[in-house]
Amino acid sequence: MISVISSEWYKLRKSKVLLLLLVAPLVGLFIGMSSSLGDIGAINPWYEKLVMMNFTYAVLFLPLISGVLASVICRYEHQKGGWKQLLALPVTRGKVFLSKYVLLLLLIFVMQLLYLVSIYLVGMIGGITEPFPMDIVWKTIVGGWMATFPLIALQLWVSIAFKSFAAPFAINVIFTLPTILVINSERFGPYYPWGQPFLMMNIGGSAEDFFFVPWDQILMVVGGSFLLFFIGGYLYFQRKAI
Amino acid sequence: MIFPLIQSDFLKIKRKGMWLLCLIGPFGVVALQMVNYGVRKDYLFEQMDDRWLYYLLNINTFTPLAIVLGIVILTSFMSSIEDETNAWKQLVALPVSKRSVYLSKFTVISCILFLSSVLLFLFVFGYGLTLGLGEDIPYLRLMEYSFLPFFAALPVLGLQLWVATISKNQAIPVTLGVIGVIFAYSAPLLPDWMIWKWPALSNDWGHAYINALLGIGFGVLLYLLGMVDFKRRDVK
Amino acid sequence: MEYIVETKNLTKSFGKEKAVSNLEMKIPKGEIYGFLGPNGAGKTTTIRMLLGLMRPTSGSVQLFGKDMKNNRIDILKNVGSLVENPSYYPHLTAKENLEASRKILHAPKERIDEVLKLVRLHGVRNKKVKGFSLGMKQRLGIAAAMLHQPELLILDEPTNGLDPSGIIEMRELIQSLPKEYGMTVLISSHLLSEIDQMATRVGVVTKGKMIFQDSIETMRKIAQASIQIKVNDNEAAWRSMLANGQKADLGEEHINLQVEDDEQVAASIDYLVQQGFSIYRVQEETRSLENIFLEMTKEEHAE
Repeated sequence: MISVISSEWYKLRKSKVLLLLLVAPLVGLFIGMSSSLGDIGAINPWYEKLVMMNFTYAVLFLPLISGVLASVICRYEHQKGGWKQLLALPVTRGKVFLSKYVLLLLLIFVMQLLYLVSIYLVGMIGGITEPFPMDIVWKTIVGGWMATFPLIALQLWVSIAFKSFAAPFAINVIFTLPTILVINSERFGPYYPWGQPFLMMNIGGSAEDFFFVPWDQILMVVGGSFLLFFIGGYLYFQRKAI
Repeated sequence: MIFPLIQSDFLKIKRKGMWLLCLIGPFGVVALQMVNYGVRKDYLFEQMDDRWLYYLLNINTFTPLAIVLGIVILTSFMSSIEDETNAWKQLVALPVSKRSVYLSKFTVISCILFLSSVLLFLFVFGYGLTLGLGEDIPYLRLMEYSFLPFFAALPVLGLQLWVATISKNQAIPVTLGVIGVIFAYSAPLLPDWMIWKWPALSNDWGHAYINALLGIGFGVLLYLLGMVDFKRRDVK
Repeated sequence: MEYIVETKNLTKSFGKEKAVSNLEMKIPKGEIYGFLGPNGAGKTTTIRMLLGLMRPTSGSVQLFGKDMKNNRIDILKNVGSLVENPSYYPHLTAKENLEASRKILHAPKERIDEVLKLVRLHGVRNKKVKGFSLGMKQRLGIAAAMLHQPELLILDEPTNGLDPSGIIEMRELIQSLPKEYGMTVLISSHLLSEIDQMATRVGVVTKGKMIFQDSIETMRKIAQASIQIKVNDNEAAWRSMLANGQKADLGEEHINLQVEDDEQVAASIDYLVQQGFSIYRVQEETRSLENIFLEMTKEEHAE
């Protein structure tokens, strides 16, 4: 298993995927620097920045870019019979699918860390003197990451199914855009998988649980949709005619 | 000279779902407001005396995003059709100028986007009528909010088509598109010179048509830059 | 002589690497020109420049006596081509694929059925190309190249992926083109045997340079058999023969005799016997075209 993952990583290493990860902190810097929310009555200026930055980042950027990463990770196999070559090696299809998925998780985690750096930079440039609220920031970084688990499972599925980048991206867009509206609804928001990255990264959320979202919601919505998309993609890949 | 090429390009986009996207885009924008107004109509009616205008403003929070993303998807589709088996070499070896090859792609995508704008107009108008927003239907504004974003987005089309045609790896134009949509979403925070702000139709002068004019001007400019670059490159 | 294709000092560099260097290609009308060379010799790059897909770094390309630089579109109206792997639109049917090109070429609609029959794809005309075998895709590419009945047909490795019967069919089709339509054909390959069976002229390229260009007969002449003779004193015998006005080369272990017919062989041996040499062996050595081709390209590699 580890060898399959490391082979996947080896294929990606020299591609531009690492540059792609750098887009996240750049976008973070852009949102952080351009927003001038003024006084929203937050306890400290870090919170202000976090509210602003996490909003745009989690509602649009994170879901969309994870989909792009999922397509990137299938790119070599879609070129000139790459699937044939990969699956002719002594590996099971299940392992290939799982390896690609795990590598995606790792990449997105790295991207989240880079985004964390950009939050810190924005604060430094903005001259915030209060101590960096690491405990809260950690929760949003890890929480946002966990919320992408089901989304990238679906994107991996459609990226395996379609050769082009445009088709999986179109599907991603169709699900991601409504988030802007859905998260306003207290009734539907908590059940919309594409809304979860925002809810997990929104520091104004419920403060009683470990994350900013109650555990049962994480388990049910994130866990449930993860199982649905992951198993769906896994089974699809098992049956896909190569 | 150019028409056979355009016909041929329309033939090539068959079965790729691009016409479906042309429909989904405007429909999605209006459908989101159907949900919005369906859930909290009374609250939304209280927000502004001019209910039609408020409705159009609500529509226009999504139109720029849908257009920018639509452009990203269509341009990427368009070039992946030629990229897939490197059909560029076969296409350019036909008796056509590379300039018209590029112009044809630009034209076909513009047509699809324009058709989307027409559909947007019809959907917005139709759903608006059922909402009971008032007797005075602001036809002019309705037209503005349906068609001006298309013209204002032409520079984004010029840029995305350029990057999509010259990139072997479609991750590049798509990522640029993701950045673009973040810009479009942050439009109120952007300076007026940034092209991604224009489809939102807001500017310091307060005239929406300025965005459309700027869009046409810079759209043509970016189109020309892309075309010259495309012509210059060897076909592998 | 009227040349359909003529390149002058054609050169293409990628960075420091010269893929094609000072190539002078001349193809007279009505010929089937075999463009031979090992993989990576610069054949495809040359063909791309002939089609105006790439710009030469220096030198010029003239087709039908017109310069490619200024008359690209005019020239391409009379050129059909299939470059490297066939290009097609997998989501379209065979017919739709041809239709996409036909519109641009302004060929009559009936041509689609004609060319489909010509390459035996008429039965699957309404099937998506996605499911075609490599050979079918290749044939579809040739059909597309013939749509507008071009005067010049450029085929880059056209038998790639074809099965033996497909190769024979393709050969017969190509051979019929000059006779029936007055077409000129440029066909590239890395296999000499393939070119040998249909070409009337040959150009051999290696490392971007044209090292041989002439009719196939001339190439065959080089390949003609030579007679090897081994005697008790090869060198003395060789000198004696030269003095007698016979053409011969001195090899390491024998004398190579260049002769045109059997009578000459007999005369030479008769002469050697008269001179008192003991003849150990007389044998015939045939050099195949393949050997010549390998020798030609090997010399270049050794540089």
